Amino acid sequence: MDRAAIRTRLLEIVGPDGLLDDPDELLVYEYDASDEVFAGHHRPDFTVLPRTAEQVSAVVRLANEVGLPVIPRGAGTGLAGGALALRGGILIVLTRMNRILEVNERDGYAIVEPGVINLELSTALQPRGYFFAPDPASQRACTIGGNVGNNSGGPHCLKYGVTTNHILGLEVVLPDGERIWTGGPVPETPGVDLTGVLVGSEGTLGIVTKVMVRLTRLPEAVSVLLAAFPDIESASHATSAIIAAGVLPAALEMMDHLTIKAVEDAFHAGYPREAGAVLLVELDGLQEIVAENTGRVAELCRQHSAWEVRVARTKEERDLLWLGRKSAFGAMGRLAPNYYLVDTTVPRTKLPATMRRVEELSREYRLSIANVFHAGDGNLHPLVLFDRHRPGEVERVLECTTEILRYCVDVGGTLSGEHGIGFEKRDYMTLVFTTEDLCAMAGLKRSFDPRELFNPEKVLPTGFRCGEVAVLRQQALAQRLGLEYV
Amino acid sequence: MTGTTRLAPDTALQRLEELGRSSDPSNYIVDGIPPRVALELASPEAVAEALALCAAAGLALVPWGGGGQMGLGNLPERYDVALDLRGLAAVVDYEPDDLTIGVQAGCTLARLAAILSEHGQMLPLDADDPERITIGGLVATGLGCPRRFGYGSLRDLIIGITVALPDGTLARGGGMVVKNVSGYDMMRLHFGALGSLGVIVRANFKLLPSPEAQRTLLVAFPSLEEAMEGALAVRGSQLAPTALVVLAPVTAERFVGMARWTLAARCEGPEGAVLRQAERLAETAASATSEARILEHEETLRFWSSLQGKLAATPLVDVIRVRIGELPSRLGELAARLVTEWGSALEDAVLDVGSGLAFATLAGTVEELRAAWTRLAGYGRHATMLAAPRDVKAGYDVFGRPPEGVAVMRRLKETFDPERTLNPGRFIALL
Repeated sequence: MDRAAIRTRLLEIVGPDGLLDDPDELLVYEYDASDEVFAGHHRPDFTVLPRTAEQVSAVVRLANEVGLPVIPRGAGTGLAGGALALRGGILIVLTRMNRILEVNERDGYAIVEPGVINLELSTALQPRGYFFAPDPASQRACTIGGNVGNNSGGPHCLKYGVTTNHILGLEVVLPDGERIWTGGPVPETPGVDLTGVLVGSEGTLGIVTKVMVRLTRLPEAVSVLLAAFPDIESASHATSAIIAAGVLPAALEMMDHLTIKAVEDAFHAGYPREAGAVLLVELDGLQEIVAENTGRVAELCRQHSAWEVRVARTKEERDLLWLGRKSAFGAMGRLAPNYYLVDTTVPRTKLPATMRRVEELSREYRLSIANVFHAGDGNLHPLVLFDRHRPGEVERVLECTTEILRYCVDVGGTLSGEHGIGFEKRDYMTLVFTTEDLCAMAGLKRSFDPRELFNPEKVLPTGFRCGEVAVLRQQALAQRLGLEYV
Repeated sequence: MTGTTRLAPDTALQRLEELGRSSDPSNYIVDGIPPRVALELASPEAVAEALALCAAAGLALVPWGGGGQMGLGNLPERYDVALDLRGLAAVVDYEPDDLTIGVQAGCTLARLAAILSEHGQMLPLDADDPERITIGGLVATGLGCPRRFGYGSLRDLIIGITVALPDGTLARGGGMVVKNVSGYDMMRLHFGALGSLGVIVRANFKLLPSPEAQRTLLVAFPSLEEAMEGALAVRGSQLAPTALVVLAPVTAERFVGMARWTLAARCEGPEGAVLRQAERLAETAASATSEARILEHEETLRFWSSLQGKLAATPLVDVIRVRIGELPSRLGELAARLVTEWGSALEDAVLDVGSGLAFATLAGTVEELRAAWTRLAGYGRHATMLAAPRDVKAGYDVFGRPPEGVAVMRRLKETFDPERTLNPGRFIALL
């Protein structure tokens, strides 16, 4: 089918205001929030903005018929290039499907369309006494569908878990265009846990058209502490001490000196400028427990060299303390024209050593690195600062970030804690996984999408073809075990 | 395309016996059927090799832990080899300060709990027979306990997995960190898949600090309606019990000697806070005619462990146990229906109001129980026979109505287990 014919068919499905294919209109869809310097830009053949699940399904069936790739996209805030149309094709943007369809607080769930914005959902639930727990830094812009695709995290995941822990069921359009519901409002739905498999699959297995989310009861009491430490090392030890004491904070965030300075210059959140590191600790739950634990955490911070501990008692005070943390990425513009955000997780006990290694690499590669991260669960976010116009700097950034990833994997960590693999990190997958591991993952992908049309070139390494590897391996196994190979 | 491997079944059986220690097949009966051979294997590599041999020879294999949940599953289509994984029981990776652990599948809950308690840590699981229940069995069956209301289930806590596949390989997913989005979620692919896509040899979990103190508030009500009203008031409150159930009079009498519809709410935390929490819960739940009691720490542990016996898939002889998923606000209605329809045949009923699950144990003749299942299968959001005598299961799918995604599940089965080596016929839709 030629381009004009496909265009006509798409128009029939989504209507004239639901289709973009003019190069000027497509320009914005050549990018997502990943850095163009590293990810490049990639123009889709068409961008469609469906309003219903039926339209999504019809577009997918058409794509199948004509053999065009399909790339789902929410608000485009992904940092790993997951929404880039690497092989062209049809970009399906779900932002117009943005209704909250049902809220049932009595039974603890809501059904929403994928284009609902994360913060808007929690804002809508708040008056009813509930919230949606995952709270990525981009929550003012990112969509629930995007959260599902990336299994997004956020500061409050320490206590409440990541997106997959809050998704009860999904309506999903599979790569053949069929639309099914997985999971449901109550646990232990019999069968393979397709909901669990789909969350975090980065749009490579299906497109979510409705999401059944778990509602979490707002806690009775909340307190926030800010503790100022002489250096990252002492703040890291305080983190371990808090966890070891059996306290599970709702959030436990760390910022280093460079970040504190940038945040103060830009937003005046009132953080102590002289601090080598600050910890932001939020405790929530029953008032008796919060009161007791707030005292314990303050004491533990002091024992580990905190020279100032502030406790926010009102909502306004709490919001002010959080302001600095939530604005940290925005403040980086004060320090350098560009930054590359590395998202990686290490076992919590490896944090101090990892931070030392990051500092070493910063010196070695002559690049400033700011650190703001989820200390409680070992999820680091070194921000490597640079200027893309300075010759050789982009290359140094790439080498430096690769070294950071390599170190994190070596100490038992992983490639990505919450941003996803996408296009950015797929070739690092072999640092963590064996050929056998990747073959099993490719088998999962193949079971959903045998024609590899759904968000191609993502998650699995470039050119990874399990078939060839599998034949060789099967022959070797046959030889070793004395099996006949036919 | 890959080819296939072949081996004569008798040769395969002989070779299997060289891989590990042979065991008495009569200890590995599934729904009345003994295997041709039973094997105890002690390394993940041996498990992978055994799978490859079985796949090449067309033999059907059933992975075994302690057998405590072997009631779950359809009648096996074929059954040649029992694979006992209890020799694979090492704690491979435990760093208390990271609050993570990696354990082999055959590790029992009792052993794991003992190791964790030395460091004041836990997995929030209950079992009435912790010496028998293995981690692999819990992951494969996906059966949880009422504490999921407060802590999430094992599905929420699993962070890594290693499975042996019928192509003779070992494949991992996830890792040893609590936050990880690197690659597909292979943990949840296998969680609750009844070992039909791979044999779980290792699983990694995030751990929780053990609470300092535990109490259970019991409130007995004169009627089911009042008990449910109390339970839903607690559910909607900010009082955060870690488990919330309502017991039928017959069950409440058995466990706490109160022959009335009885609410049980579990409180876990620092000593002082827990006492206050139980008092506040009592104020929220109680009515003019209710009667409240508080179980102390040790009693609390005993109560929830033994209650778990009524929620488990232990093989049963003269009764069936059914798990029905239903919205918490509709559990009362469901329970009323169970009582009306089966009355004295209802041996036990537990409503997990925190989660939205009902568990009922029914007694009767084979015919009566088969008739009961044809009705029960249509109840709630989903219904499963957790355990039943062989003749009751025959001809039915114990997992109830097939879900919408069954075509994808079938393709997953064809991809990962093309020769139908693993638990053939036993999983949903006779996969």
